Amino acid sequence: MKRIAVFLSLLVLTAAFAFASGEAESESGAPVITVASDATWPPMEFVDADGQIVGFDIDLINAVAEAGGFEVEIQNTAWEGIFPGLANGDYDAVISSVTITDERKNTMDFSIPYVNAGQILVVPADTPASVTSLEDLAGREVGAQIGTTGAFAVEEAAGVELRTYDEIGLAVEDLANGRIAGAVMDNPVAADYVLQNENYAGRLKIVGEPFTEEFYGIAVKKGNTEVLDMINAGLEIVLNNGTADEITNAWLR
Amino acid sequence: MAPIEREQGTRITVSDGALIPDQGETSLFSAWRISFYGALALVILLPVLSPDPYRDIIARLPMGILRTFQVTVTSIIIALGIGLITGLGRISRVTVINRIATVYVEVIRGIPLLVQLFYIYFALGRFLSLDRIVSAIAAMSICYGAYMGEIFRAGIQSIPKGQMEAALALGMSRTQALRLVILPQTVRVVLPPVGNEFIALLKDSSLVSIVAVTDLLRAGREYASTTFYYFETYTMVALVYLVITLFFSKIVAIMEERLSHGR
Repeated sequence: MKRIAVFLSLLVLTAAFAFASGEAESESGAPVITVASDATWPPMEFVDADGQIVGFDIDLINAVAEAGGFEVEIQNTAWEGIFPGLANGDYDAVISSVTITDERKNTMDFSIPYVNAGQILVVPADTPASVTSLEDLAGREVGAQIGTTGAFAVEEAAGVELRTYDEIGLAVEDLANGRIAGAVMDNPVAADYVLQNENYAGRLKIVGEPFTEEFYGIAVKKGNTEVLDMINAGLEIVLNNGTADEITNAWLR
Repeated sequence: MAPIEREQGTRITVSDGALIPDQGETSLFSAWRISFYGALALVILLPVLSPDPYRDIIARLPMGILRTFQVTVTSIIIALGIGLITGLGRISRVTVINRIATVYVEVIRGIPLLVQLFYIYFALGRFLSLDRIVSAIAAMSICYGAYMGEIFRAGIQSIPKGQMEAALALGMSRTQALRLVILPQTVRVVLPPVGNEFIALLKDSSLVSIVAVTDLLRAGREYASTTFYYFETYTMVALVYLVITLFFSKIVAIMEERLSHGR
């Protein structure tokens, strides 16, 4: 039994290695990179009404592939197993709203940051365009979820009174009902409420740019420079030719 | 609250309100003294002996305590008004008024206060955007108004029937009899349970922190969420609540004693 088990694991490893080393090619001859994504996190990656995996990350990785001259195949993977699967070589990369952290850098390599998903300000749609930052709401109440970086940011903003909520949804509801002047939350969360949620669409808007830093990166297996270089080359182009801004405007503003 | 009738005819009365200290208890180390002075000593000593973080915590709480009082006192006053009207409605012989009052009591007492708060603030917020303090006070008043209604009803009914009959015989109208004879006597009867309700409301006012009112509890939570001094913060919050409720339970006991002397 033991020998069979060893043989099987070797077989799996070999197969995994074959995938990981980017040997797969499409019909057109361009290399194919399999990318895992946990499509449960709108608007970054989610399954739409037609059963398609869509979102900011999906558009971005497709644009990167086009610019970098390769093809991608998205593999919907549960978050819990997404990094073990990457280490195991089940796929070549992960694009799934992965925050670049020093701790993660020990176990995987990251592309250059592709989006800042930091805290951003949401205000009622009828707020004057002159309001672009927390400071513009001095003397008024701004909500955030208790204990989050957003709450700390509001507390530090001069003249703004912080209102803390147990969950961000309550703050958004209060904002929509006109009880607070603004609310602060993660950029993707804000985009989800403002753009995707029918209750709030048209009643709220995102203003300014994220004012805290939380960069997302595309993760590859530690040491897999081949795939990493391909992704970074494509990403470089996408970030500089305006494509990334277009995708940001489509999904995050 | 309701007395339970047992087979032998013994009655036990269980109150779910705060423990009102017994005036007969004169021991130096009564339960009330131990808890009140113990809690008070800790509230004072902890910031002195361990300034970090207790001094910071205590500095954060006064605004929250004021908010807690604001909500509690306003709510109890409105609840008293609602309660009196409801109590009169409950004993009214006009069927419609009686039903309205009774349905109000049944419905409100059947819904947890926390749910009522959410309902008034968030569910009704869609239609009438009430200020958060106003919503909090409205929810507390409407909820406690129902309980107060029952207290007033019991109070009015506890006045012997002969009083009403005598007043009517003297040529008073029913309203006059109620206003001049029955209600003044009711006040004395309902005062202890009303005092109880006040203390219960003071404690329940911690629920309003859910609608982002920065009361005593939320003031503490906001501090704890940034500093992670959870143990220290909640110890302080609990002690401050304890000092306040025990203080008021003593006041209620003293008022009760004064009133019974005048009997």
